[in-house]
Amino acid sequence: MADPGGGGGLGKERRRSPQGGPVSRLGVGGLLLAVIFPFLAGFHPYYLYLLGTGFLLASLASAWGLLAYAGQISFGHAAFFGVGAYTTALLALELGVTPWLGILIAGGAGALAALPIGAAAHLLRGAYLALGSLAYAELLRVLALNWTGLTGGGAGLIGLPGLHLGGELEFARERAGGYYLSLAVLLLALAVFALLRRSRVGLAWAAIREREERAQLLGVSPTRYKLLAFACSGALAGLVGALYAHAVRFIEPDLVFGRYFSILPLIMATFGGLHTLLGPPAGALVLYLVSELLFHPLLPRLHQLPYALALIGVVFFLPRGLAGLLGRR
Amino acid sequence: MSPAALVHSLAVGLVTGSFYAFLALAFALVLAITRVLNLAHGELVVLGGYIGYSLWKAWGLPPLLLVPLAALASLPLGAIWRGLLGRVREPVELNSLVLTFGLGLLLQNLMLGVWAGDYRLIAGDAAPPLALGGIALPRGRLLVAAISLGTVGALHLVLTRTRWGTALRATSLDPEAAGLMGINTDRASLTSFLLAAAIAGGGGVLFATFHYLHPAAGVELTLLAIALSILGGVGRLSGLLLGGLLIGVVEALALTWAGPEWRELVVAAIVLLLLLLRSRGLVAGRGH
Repeated sequence: MADPGGGGGLGKERRRSPQGGPVSRLGVGGLLLAVIFPFLAGFHPYYLYLLGTGFLLASLASAWGLLAYAGQISFGHAAFFGVGAYTTALLALELGVTPWLGILIAGGAGALAALPIGAAAHLLRGAYLALGSLAYAELLRVLALNWTGLTGGGAGLIGLPGLHLGGELEFARERAGGYYLSLAVLLLALAVFALLRRSRVGLAWAAIREREERAQLLGVSPTRYKLLAFACSGALAGLVGALYAHAVRFIEPDLVFGRYFSILPLIMATFGGLHTLLGPPAGALVLYLVSELLFHPLLPRLHQLPYALALIGVVFFLPRGLAGLLGRR
Repeated sequence: MSPAALVHSLAVGLVTGSFYAFLALAFALVLAITRVLNLAHGELVVLGGYIGYSLWKAWGLPPLLLVPLAALASLPLGAIWRGLLGRVREPVELNSLVLTFGLGLLLQNLMLGVWAGDYRLIAGDAAPPLALGGIALPRGRLLVAAISLGTVGALHLVLTRTRWGTALRATSLDPEAAGLMGINTDRASLTSFLLAAAIAGGGGVLFATFHYLHPAAGVELTLLAIALSILGGVGRLSGLLLGGLLIGVVEALALTWAGPEWRELVVAAIVLLLLLLRSRGLVAGRGH
C-alpha cells in the first residue's frame, strides 16, 4: 500500500479542472450507467439487490478512505457501522421512531462512537492507532453481545421495519427503491468527501497525513482535525450501517460489529487507491462483484478469498491500487 | 468473593497466564527482531490446533506427540511469512499489519474450507483433577502450563547464554549495528519467524486441548499477544512472563466476578488501556 506516513509534498494534491482526466470521465460514465442499470437489467431483483449492497459497501469504503486521507488508518470501522445499525434498530423497535429519522440519528451516533478513538488518535499513531481501533471495535462487539437488556444479545434484533419510500415503494422489498437510495448515499458520501478535500479542512488533513509535526508547526491543530475526520467518517459509516440494518431487517453483534465490516472497507479502499476520491468506491464495487458473481457460485466457502488476495496483491504489486493503474493520484 | 474462590481464581489465572505468555512469545519475538506486527498470529495458532486435531482424529496420537508434529508442520508457514513480510515497505509496522490482516483472512477462509465452521476439541483422557491444598485444577491444564513455562525458560536460556541467542538479541536492539558486527540479520529474522511458527503451531495443539477450535477463534489470541507485548516489553522474556501471569490473573478474577461471557471484553479493554498508557511505541527507543 502507499505509505500513509511517508514523505512527499503537498504538491501532488493538485486541484483538477472540473472536466478532469480519464478517471473523472469514468466516474461520470459509471454514474450514468448506475442510473439506467435497473432498466437495462429489467428490474431483476437479484441484480438490483447485488448492486445496491455494492453501493452501500462502496459508501463504507469511501468513509474509510476519508479517514485515511487524514492519515488515520482504521482497523475498526465495524464499530461505527454497528453503532449506526443498532441505533436505528433500537429507535424503531423500542420507541417506534420512523426509520428515516432513525437513520439520521444513526449517522450522529456513528460520529459520536468515532470520537473516543479519534481522541485516542492524539496519542496513538500509525500501527498503534490501527491496533487501538481493532480493540475498540472488539470491545463494542462484546458489549453488544452481553448487554442483553438493551441489545437482545447474541440472538440479535429481528423484525426491523423497512423503509417506505413513498407510495407503494419499500426499501427492502421493492429492490429498485433500495437500489436508488443506496446510490444516493454513495453520491452523498462522495460529495462530502469531494467538498472537504477541496476545502481548508482537506488541506489540513493532507498536511497532517504527510507530516504531522510540520503541519502542527504551521498552526494546524492535528487533534482537532483528526477528531473532525473521525467524526465525518464515523457519521458516514453509521449512516451506511443504519441503511444496511433496514435492508437486511435483522442485525446481530457478530454481524454488524464483526471483523467483516472492518476488513472490507480497508481492503476495498486500499485496493481502489488510497487518498483518491473514486478509488475506494471503485475498489469496493470491483471486489464485491467479483466475490459475489465469480467466487460465491464456484467456491461458496471461500468467497472471501478475493479480498485477501487483493490485499496481498496490492501490498506487493500495486501500492497505489487501481488508481495507480490509471496513473492518477 | 469467598477466599477459596479467590485462591482458585488466582491459581487458574496463573495457569492460563503462563500459556498466554508462551503464545505471545511468538508474536513478541517476530516484533522485536523484524518490527513486524503479525495480526495473523492467532490464526496460525488455530491452524496448528486444527493440524493437531486432524492427526489426532486420524491416528489417535497422544496430545504430547501432537505438539512437536504440529510445530514441525507449521515451519513452512514461518518461511512463507518471512518471505512475504520481509518485502513490505516502510513504515513496516503499519504495512505489516495490513498485510497480515489479509493473510489472517486468507487462513480463516482456508480453515473454513478444510475443516468447515464446526467447533473442534482435542479431548484428552479424563483424568481426575489434581487437588493441591484444596484447589482442584484439571491435570491437562497443569501440563499445558508446565510445557509453556518450560519452553519460555528454555528459550530464555538460549537467548541469554548462547552466541546464537546473543545474535538474535543484538539484532532486536539495533539491526544496523548488529549487521556491521558481522551478525547475519537476515538469518536472525528468518529464525524468529520459524521459531514463531513452531510456537504457534505447537501452542495451537495445547490450546485445542482446553478450548474449542473455530476458524475465527484466533482474534482474541492475537489481541492477547499484543497486550502482552506492550505490557512485558518486547524482547524481554521475563517481562512477557510476568505480563502473562498478570493478565491471566486479572482475567480470571474478572471472570469470577462478572462471568465468563465478559472475557473477550476484558481482553480488548486491557489492550486499549495498555496502548494508551504505553503509546510511545512497543519497541523502546525506536518509536514507529
